[in-house]
Amino acid sequence: MQENEFSPEDSLQLIQSMIDKTKNSVADNSFYFLLWGWLVLAACIIQFVLKVIVQSPWHPLAWTLMIVGIIASALHGMNENKSRKVKTYIGELLDYLWLSIFLSFLLLGFIFARLGWQNCYSFYMVMYAIGSFVTGRALKFSPLVWGAIGSWFLAIVSTFTSYDINILLSGLAIILSYIIPGYLLKMKYRQMQVHV
Amino acid sequence: MFKDLDPILHSQLRLAIVSLLISVKEAEFTFLKEKTNATAGNLSVQINKLKEAGYIDVVKQFKENYPQTICKITPVGVKAFEQYVKNLHPYLNLPSSIKK
Repeated sequence: MQENEFSPEDSLQLIQSMIDKTKNSVADNSFYFLLWGWLVLAACIIQFVLKVIVQSPWHPLAWTLMIVGIIASALHGMNENKSRKVKTYIGELLDYLWLSIFLSFLLLGFIFARLGWQNCYSFYMVMYAIGSFVTGRALKFSPLVWGAIGSWFLAIVSTFTSYDINILLSGLAIILSYIIPGYLLKMKYRQMQVHV
Repeated sequence: MFKDLDPILHSQLRLAIVSLLISVKEAEFTFLKEKTNATAGNLSVQINKLKEAGYIDVVKQFKENYPQTICKITPVGVKAFEQYVKNLHPYLNLPSSIKK
């Protein structure tokens, strides 16, 4: 960039172009949506098979898969921090949002362990929707918003259905709110990288 | 009535740096270099000028044994940028009371 005299019109254009360049600076979040989406879906299917088909009392153990998600997320987060060149306000807000969702899931696990797991999936589906909805609005990415609305709807439906069916509804909610938007988000970031 | 534009900001590279920093929380030197396409030497000189004017904060540290320079706009810098944009309006035949 040269240090020439430039007009007020040039100033305005320069300001606009620089602000535009920071718009794509929010880190690619699709990794987390896909990681947690597939893990939760796998846990739902394994639990359903163990509980309904095999009729094993060990069916809740399917959720130990989440430990893989915690380790993979921590490692990915550390790598991301190493290579991150810019911190945005939206990025920071989303970090706190997902941290609060993670802590809320841990807390819900404790609460359901104390009070009983009968209605746990309705609450989990509401939680999936919160993360997707806020991230979708912050990134102006509508598939996440629609996925969240779908998950909220399924949370209502789950109050009319049995625990066994709710395991499957939870899997469907995660497909709508994490997996499908996750792949679309990944595609969007790839397209942005090509055009930068 | 035309107001004088802040000479610190009315420079292509310095205005580019401040425009980038106004929309993010903080940015590394390498990010600013990549987005402005400036040379490291020139960028360094302009960052120092903005720092001396109190418009930006510069933190030098080590990350993974490599030196790292982090820049962040200050409240003085935000105010100066807002005033600069406001002072541009008469030049562009825009009313000065345009709301964001």
